[in-house]
Amino acid sequence: MMNKAIDLKDIELEMGMFQLFDITTAIPEGKMTAIIGPNGSGKSTLLKIITKLLSADKGEVAIQGKEAGDYSRADYARTISMLPQAKDMLPELTVRELVAYGRSPHKRLFKQRLTEEDQKIIDWAMKTMSIRRHDDRMFHTLSGGEQQKARIAMALAQKTDIILLDEPTTFLDISHQLEVMGMLRKINQEHGITIVMVLHDLQQAAAYCDHLIAMKDGEIISTGTPQTVITSRFLRQVYEIEAKVSFDQNYPVIIPIPKNYEEDATMIIVTNTSHITKGNGDKLIERFDRIGKVEGMEGFLGLEVLLTQNTAEYDEVSVVTRWNSKDDFQAWTRSEAFRESHSHRKTPDYIISNKIVFQEVKIKRNPLPPVHAEAIAEAKAQ
Amino acid sequence: MNKQLRTKRRKIALITAPILLLLSVFYGLSYGSVSISLSEIWTILTTDGQSAQDTIIMNLRLPRVLVGLLTGACLAAAGAILQGVMRNPLADPGIIGVSAGGGLAAVVTMVLLPQLSYLLPAAAFAGAFVSSIVIYLISWDKGTSPVKIVLAGVAVNALLGAIMNGIMVVYSDRVQSVLPWLSGGLNGRSWHHLSFMAPYALVGLGLTLLAIKPANLMLLGDDSAKLLGQKVELQRLLLILLSSLLAGAAVSAAGLIGFVGLVVPHAVRLLIGEDYRYLLPVSILGGAALVVFADTIARTWFDPIELPVGILLACVGAPFFLILLRKRSNWR
Repeated sequence: MMNKAIDLKDIELEMGMFQLFDITTAIPEGKMTAIIGPNGSGKSTLLKIITKLLSADKGEVAIQGKEAGDYSRADYARTISMLPQAKDMLPELTVRELVAYGRSPHKRLFKQRLTEEDQKIIDWAMKTMSIRRHDDRMFHTLSGGEQQKARIAMALAQKTDIILLDEPTTFLDISHQLEVMGMLRKINQEHGITIVMVLHDLQQAAAYCDHLIAMKDGEIISTGTPQTVITSRFLRQVYEIEAKVSFDQNYPVIIPIPKNYEEDATMIIVTNTSHITKGNGDKLIERFDRIGKVEGMEGFLGLEVLLTQNTAEYDEVSVVTRWNSKDDFQAWTRSEAFRESHSHRKTPDYIISNKIVFQEVKIKRNPLPPVHAEAIAEAKAQ
Repeated sequence: MNKQLRTKRRKIALITAPILLLLSVFYGLSYGSVSISLSEIWTILTTDGQSAQDTIIMNLRLPRVLVGLLTGACLAAAGAILQGVMRNPLADPGIIGVSAGGGLAAVVTMVLLPQLSYLLPAAAFAGAFVSSIVIYLISWDKGTSPVKIVLAGVAVNALLGAIMNGIMVVYSDRVQSVLPWLSGGLNGRSWHHLSFMAPYALVGLGLTLLAIKPANLMLLGDDSAKLLGQKVELQRLLLILLSSLLAGAAVSAAGLIGFVGLVVPHAVRLLIGEDYRYLLPVSILGGAALVVFADTIARTWFDPIELPVGILLACVGAPFFLILLRKRSNWR
């Protein structure tokens, strides 16, 4: 088993509408790991718990085998650094001053002056992110991509074994995205720094990372190498899309399958036909009118009551109900409302015979929705 | 502002601020119903003498100038620190309850316990300190945030203000002595006042050196500061206490002087940026110079009336502040 940089056990958190359940996973040391999943699945929250910006209701976080709670804030900042989402307004600073902030966990309150070693580390961080030429530029005059590189350089200057990044490429153009990902890969390979990031781009996550953690609705759905995680099943489960997945080297090729509504859509038509003694058809219809509540049933699509009076011996009354599925119809026959309307009534003697026919049909064109009494009244009023 | 311009402005500010303070001190010592020249002041300060001018300088003007100097320095330092820890450029000692707490304690002392009026500075100081702690505790709920503190501050300020006004209405016959104090003045400030406030003021001003690093890190936002290893909540509490120490010292000596804590650091920030290594010393010197200068004007220009310096500062400060606000409408 690989060495664990970060070990999470039974993490749970409830924060208003938002929840994390039973998060148990390990992040391998010296590798690139991406946390993927739809918006609101708890990825950023998990990063915040790992960095102690949030505390979980339950569970344990261990960093390099030591409980997170056993680290002092400053020790922690020398072990694990994080690039938050680029939301905070920064004060007016030069790029070098921003990167120098990364040294502060290593400075005492009384000895703040940067030593030669600090300067060397700042130089190294800026060189690694290729922003040396911006040394004296004001940070806010840089483009978005260059700003992001400067922010990453600040995290690098912290000289930690683990770097977390929350959506490091989200607001960047494609060339800066690839540049930043390439730099992170290089940092990871040349210095063995464990990199964990929240990513939205599945292709980049798969291409650059060794290990993926997929989350949905506050739970971990699957973990593993990109090839094992990114599958058709995964896309259906996590993103609710149908797609074919194949890998072209490291890059997953995701081809969405357009939904075929004609093939999918079927419905159940239940036709309850009664033969009635001549001239009494209206009575049965009146009776049906008193049975309410079917409109509220799940899967109910519509209802027609048909009266045929042109036969010789009897009137024919058909009650046709349409349902999404047979189960939906059966749920109706078992419902309180149905039983109530049928139980304490004897079958009236004007009914000669009665039969029920079920048909499962494909929908080629949807029937008109049921017409509601209010809608009719409204139409009349106008 | 680019780096060259910022460096230039910092240099100019670090040279100009002490000169301004020196000028305002000499202005304060030499102007008044009796004008005394600079060379005479020098002689008086450096030798023992018994002349009338000696008395004026040594017993009246010098302690008053020094109280004003420390008051301005403390208020500006408190404002600069609070604007940083609250991440709110409109913060001043008022929002952490220093004015209301100090004011209530002072009014209670002056109106209800006049026999203890020699304790007034101590009471104002204690009131200022206690109310800032109460506000911090109210705002605490698994951690705190600048917004919560500001909201708690508004509520507590309103309550304390109401109690203070209630006392003043009920005992309206005894309010006479309170009014000048409430509007903030340095009239008749003596060595006695200076000796009470100076220890707190000097300790507080010294401690601001420790505020520089945490305040600079908080500029990045709470999360970033924590990620850089800072105990942000603890630091915020300590810095609020430091501010209330500073503002409490000022309030105890000079009453309620507004706007210095708000306007001075704000203006300095616009000029030289937010780095506390420069912002704090320049604000402290600038605040000191402003109060000494304004007090001299309030004392001499409206002869025979002596205006409380707080009124003058508010009259000048309020419009100036509005101009700053309009220029900086992009604050969020």
